Amino acid sequence: MSELMDAAAKAVELATNMGAEQVKAWSSQGVEVELQQRAGKLERVHESSTLGLSVSLLVDGRYSTHGTSDLRPEALKAFLQRAVDGTRYLEPDPDRVMLPFEEMGSLDPVSLDNDDAASMNARGPEQRQEAIKELEDTILAGATDDLVSATSYIWEVRSQSAAVFSNGFSAQQARTHFGQGGMLTLKEPSGKLPETYSFYNASHMADVPSVQHLADDLWERATEVRNTSACASGSYTLILDRRTASRLIGAMIAPMSGGNLHTGRSMYLGKLGQTLGSSAFTLVDDPTIPRGMGSKPFDGDGRKARTRSLFTNGRLDTYLLDLYHARKLEMDPTTGGTSNVVMAPGTRHWREIAKDHPKAIRVTSFLGGNSNPASGNYSFGIRGQLLENGEWVQNLSEMNVSGNLLELMAAFIEADNDPWTFASYRLPTLFFANVQFSGS
Amino acid sequence: MHPNELNPAAPGHFEQFGITPEVLDQVMRAALSLGATDCDLFFEHKVSTAVALTDSKVNRASTDVDLGLGVRARVGDQIGYAFTEDLSLEAMLRAARTAAGIARSTPGVAPVDLSPLALPDRYPVTDPWSIVGMDKRVPMVRAWEEAAFKLDPRIEKVQTSLADVEKWILLARPDGRMAEDYQPMTRAHVVCTAVQGDVRESNSYNLAQRAGLEFYSDQARIDRMVQKAVERTLFLLDAGKPPAGDMPVVLAAGASGILLHEAIGHGLEADFNRKGVSIYAARMDQKVAPDFVTVVDDGTVPGARGAINVDDEGNEPERTVLIENGVLRSYMHDEISASHYGVAPTGSGRRQSFRHHPLPRMRSTYMDPGPHDPEEIIKNTKRGIYATSFSNGAVQIGAGDFTFYMKTGYLIEDGKLTRPIKDVNIIGNGPAALEQVDMVGSDLVLDEGGWTCGKDGQGVPVSQGQPTVRVASLVVGGE
Repeated sequence: MSELMDAAAKAVELATNMGAEQVKAWSSQGVEVELQQRAGKLERVHESSTLGLSVSLLVDGRYSTHGTSDLRPEALKAFLQRAVDGTRYLEPDPDRVMLPFEEMGSLDPVSLDNDDAASMNARGPEQRQEAIKELEDTILAGATDDLVSATSYIWEVRSQSAAVFSNGFSAQQARTHFGQGGMLTLKEPSGKLPETYSFYNASHMADVPSVQHLADDLWERATEVRNTSACASGSYTLILDRRTASRLIGAMIAPMSGGNLHTGRSMYLGKLGQTLGSSAFTLVDDPTIPRGMGSKPFDGDGRKARTRSLFTNGRLDTYLLDLYHARKLEMDPTTGGTSNVVMAPGTRHWREIAKDHPKAIRVTSFLGGNSNPASGNYSFGIRGQLLENGEWVQNLSEMNVSGNLLELMAAFIEADNDPWTFASYRLPTLFFANVQFSGS
Repeated sequence: MHPNELNPAAPGHFEQFGITPEVLDQVMRAALSLGATDCDLFFEHKVSTAVALTDSKVNRASTDVDLGLGVRARVGDQIGYAFTEDLSLEAMLRAARTAAGIARSTPGVAPVDLSPLALPDRYPVTDPWSIVGMDKRVPMVRAWEEAAFKLDPRIEKVQTSLADVEKWILLARPDGRMAEDYQPMTRAHVVCTAVQGDVRESNSYNLAQRAGLEFYSDQARIDRMVQKAVERTLFLLDAGKPPAGDMPVVLAAGASGILLHEAIGHGLEADFNRKGVSIYAARMDQKVAPDFVTVVDDGTVPGARGAINVDDEGNEPERTVLIENGVLRSYMHDEISASHYGVAPTGSGRRQSFRHHPLPRMRSTYMDPGPHDPEEIIKNTKRGIYATSFSNGAVQIGAGDFTFYMKTGYLIEDGKLTRPIKDVNIIGNGPAALEQVDMVGSDLVLDEGGWTCGKDGQGVPVSQGQPTVRVASLVVGGE
């Protein structure tokens, strides 16, 4: 790690000597291993180690960013010289300032507990091959007659980074990701080959569920993609599965960003502090969760990470403003992006809640689609299930869900009690009233 | 000065990194040392530059340099892959030995002497980006902004950007193939935000091409980009949602090639078919569309974003006819799938960078012109939508379900374009949609925008195009 810190410090020193008045440098390295197995054969093994350096410069009041993987000393020097020289051709931007040193800081990375290097070092190539064979064998033990293809995946990633700023700030972090997953292709009499998947990702190897858990989950999800068709267009309760909820919640969060607000592409312009969602709609951004997939000790400005409320009982509590965009908007800075987006779980499982809803569509995956951050209009392709009073009616495909994100937020009813914790969006299954679906 | 700055396409670029035939031989031997039956070395040096204007100030720029080697070792269809950003011999040999680990036997293949492939020049450059300074880039993005503001007082904000890439690749194979290619790319982007009463909307237009600075000497092209960015933004101010449900969809010529890309293209990439997981598997030589539908994937379109002089395995790109007069004729092959099917590779093996292994990928995908008058297609539609611009799409390869997102369009009522509409997802099933293509116009347009195709975590530049096409029934996500 000290080598990374040295590399970043060296870049700061070089760029400063070349005439930059402010420099932020990040150096990083990573190790990744990925295996893929299918039909009893190891289909693919990827191994890599990466190294990189990125800098942001302020030269004569002008701003630019640069990155390189060519770290040969002479090449790096020439690269920085070109970067500094090129920056002088830009126009000054008085809002590109650095946070005062006194306002900078970092959580103790140890408190985040997201570096499990020991597990990565403990497993060699042969153990990984044994692990993926065990995963494949377990998945195939549940095979049904309609199975066409089953692919198994395992991966391990460790990344380390160091930040050094010219005002004296420095910090470092390291984190690991371990995961495994499976993908099934099934055959229907119609000739369609529906696919399903299940993937789990965790900071610590011990937190990745067992191969049996994954296989059971995968085969349960297989039952949701067989014999799909569209149901009638109309208004339904939307049951947004916990694994897919990030797609819509992410679309609601994107217009909170400084970039969108500053360029006028935000449905939240002028609405800070207003109640937009239903009283049940509360979201928090929490970078401090131990082993959280989005946890981080400091943000891009060098500000110590802390928990922030995004929405409280439907009220928009904050914009996501880094220092630059805060100055542009003449507001106080918050932070430039989210870390772990959390909604508190409810008290009942979604299967129980669904019994309260005469006509509901449970969305288990999205296919394409997009949203407009300025207007809030959204339209996404979906797969899922039609439920009536909690009873399964049919599996669905070739349907769209469409509407406006502000209206969707206001139509939020409740969350179930079983949040997904294997991603940075830690969301339970969510219920929304009267959502428009188009189908047959 | 860079040794190739004045002629960046000249061979020998990688010699400055110490890459000689002897080094290539040594690294390939390491990749084959544990019994791999084949391997490839893929060197890449990429320099990307971007400059952007916001709030009437050209106040943001970035550069990125990427340098490295990817080594793939193969045993049949099994792949060992490793890469390094360090081009020291020691690091390259380490990567090669790591990739070699996919095999577990004695070496049976030895590299032969390398012989450079003679490549065509599908993207000649007169003003290479490596000699274009910031001083030339800055006035360009400023001029585009000024032009956009002049077009309509409702334009409130304009962002413009100019991005360019110069990429050099070197490929070496144990059968003696060696290829060096210089692959330029540029993209210009204008984003507008307009306000009318309480309505605020934003939209954009972009141009992309494998070209140098000379691409921008055509003022008519620049004017068109700015005009379209403004028009598309203003269009949204008065547009609404279409009705929801199943209806005929007429796709305007050009970027509607996204239909081909999603509904057909991915399903015809041969890796999915050799594994039996594409809905088009085992449908070769079957009728899949009406007689007037011919679909092509073409790596040879001069200057196109999807053009390549050589694919990323060292094979010659071709014009691959996928569907000929409605009959499925070919998949897009890399070497693994070509070997599986016993056919020649189609030059479709592409990768995002040296960090990725090659896969069968699209290049420029388009439908040949058909027999119908584009105006007649609209006149013959009682009720439906006319989709004119798109942002993104997706497909499920096995089920064949695909979607694309329509940014702008019109409602068609009694054969006429009526109400402007926006922001809807359109969903269908690939084989069913192909069968339901009931009219194809004579007006093929290859879109000039910067499309990027994603697959297996890799993005590659592609082009797409289509004549005006009517699909009798797709599900429109309206209200």
